[in-house]
Amino acid sequence: MLTVEQNEELTQVGPGTPMGELLRRYWYPIAFEEDFDTVFTKTVRLLGENWTLFKTPKSGRYGIVAEACPHRRASLTYGVVHEDGIRCGYHGWKWDFDGNCLEQPAEADNQNFRDRVQHKAGKAEVMGGMVWVYVGPSPAPELPRFDVFVMDGVKDCGYTTLPCNWLQIMENSVDPHHVEWLHGQYFQFLGETSGFDAPKAFQKKHMKTGFDEMEWGILKRRVLEGGSEENDDWKIGHPLVFPYNMRVGGAGIDQMQIRVPIDDTTTWKLFYSNHAPQGADLPNQERPVFYEYLWRDEEGRFITDYIEGQDIMAWVSQGPVTDRTQEHLGRSDAGVAMLRKMFKENMKKVSKGEDPLGTIREPHDRIDLPCEKDKFGAEREFAEAWITGGSMRYSPIRQELLDLHNNAWANREKAGAGA
Amino acid sequence: MPAPDETLDSAERARVMAELPPDPHRLPPKGEWFAGDAERHLLDRPKFCPMCASDLAIDGGIATEYWVGDTRNFMTWCGDCGWFGEVVRFDMVTITEEEH
Repeated sequence: MLTVEQNEELTQVGPGTPMGELLRRYWYPIAFEEDFDTVFTKTVRLLGENWTLFKTPKSGRYGIVAEACPHRRASLTYGVVHEDGIRCGYHGWKWDFDGNCLEQPAEADNQNFRDRVQHKAGKAEVMGGMVWVYVGPSPAPELPRFDVFVMDGVKDCGYTTLPCNWLQIMENSVDPHHVEWLHGQYFQFLGETSGFDAPKAFQKKHMKTGFDEMEWGILKRRVLEGGSEENDDWKIGHPLVFPYNMRVGGAGIDQMQIRVPIDDTTTWKLFYSNHAPQGADLPNQERPVFYEYLWRDEEGRFITDYIEGQDIMAWVSQGPVTDRTQEHLGRSDAGVAMLRKMFKENMKKVSKGEDPLGTIREPHDRIDLPCEKDKFGAEREFAEAWITGGSMRYSPIRQELLDLHNNAWANREKAGAGA
Repeated sequence: MPAPDETLDSAERARVMAELPPDPHRLPPKGEWFAGDAERHLLDRPKFCPMCASDLAIDGGIATEYWVGDTRNFMTWCGDCGWFGEVVRFDMVTITEEEH
């Protein structure tokens, strides 16, 4: 149970707020490369501000500036993109990638004025088929090249926009017990009453859960009924990647669950998966497959007959911003309390001018995150359940993914039989 | 000092509430389901670090309450000295015997 002020501090992401300042120290995916196949600009919203993301026609370099031109506030998304920056379509003021004003056509004799205006600008890079941006203070840290985005495999990413604060989705990541209920017992109830078979892998009881602070966030561990501390679920676990991701995996699927804080009450939610089951013949893939998944039916009700749809019901039904003055946490919510402490601790670091958790300033090729491989002790069943019972059921390559995993399984069995 | 109780009549409850220390924080709307509960919990949560006595609100700390049966646990982090641990409130001290 928090005070009104504490809840506001933890959930407000705009400029000048403690959480907003912390979140501005990280890179975010905000668009896809394919968005720029036919246009050179796109309006994106991030951390409560509107931005113009642009790509130069020849060199293909990406840049990001605040959408409103500092001159008369017209949208730069309707501007002219040059190799050295973007020019406002209204009066032709031209801005470079760092927000410096290069030209003011109607003010040509007054160079001093040009030097006195500075536009808000960030950094933009491409990784894993997505355009990532940094809109915080300079110098920008390195874009963390987490394993899922750069490893070999078949990449598939479902996305949607949710009408709720990003923190209530993050708190779900340190709440292991919801799995056996929301995705276990509730799913079973739906199956029994609607006539389908709910996956059994999620129904196992939690016997023990653990949370370790680590260099990228919080490592979450669990021992399930029938298992032990020797299972991957405990021995390795998987991390909440501070401040807006969760890394999960198993059965040849590696996934980053991404929660981009668009503003206080809107979150861009992506499930970015890499499929590389052992024994698979991986096809060449030019770009990841991106698609929108559904979470409301025609009548406006939550679609809860798949895993992520159940999660979304739980996140969005709390309201745009959960009122934490009304909550009653229990013992199983200790991870939630720990996450709030981590946010407070890193707000404090930022206020003192220090880099927060997970800031990386050394160039690198790939960051491998700890993540279990054997998920819930049910590999083949788990891969199929994830693809057909998760947001991947909306993927245009769903059948190809199932074939990839089934063929890999067959190849492994054949190899095992021949050994 | 007794905690205000919903079973008290309104005059007695008002008297007990008046004896509690003033709280600088805004309270949830009166009509909300658990407003009375929240009010009480906000008034008697830890306000200072058990290690260095810094004010948790002023120095950027946080105490998040969770329950274990009747016991109220406050996972507490001090923004000043960095102490991280639990402050536990209980009405009766009990121990659980392991099998022996």
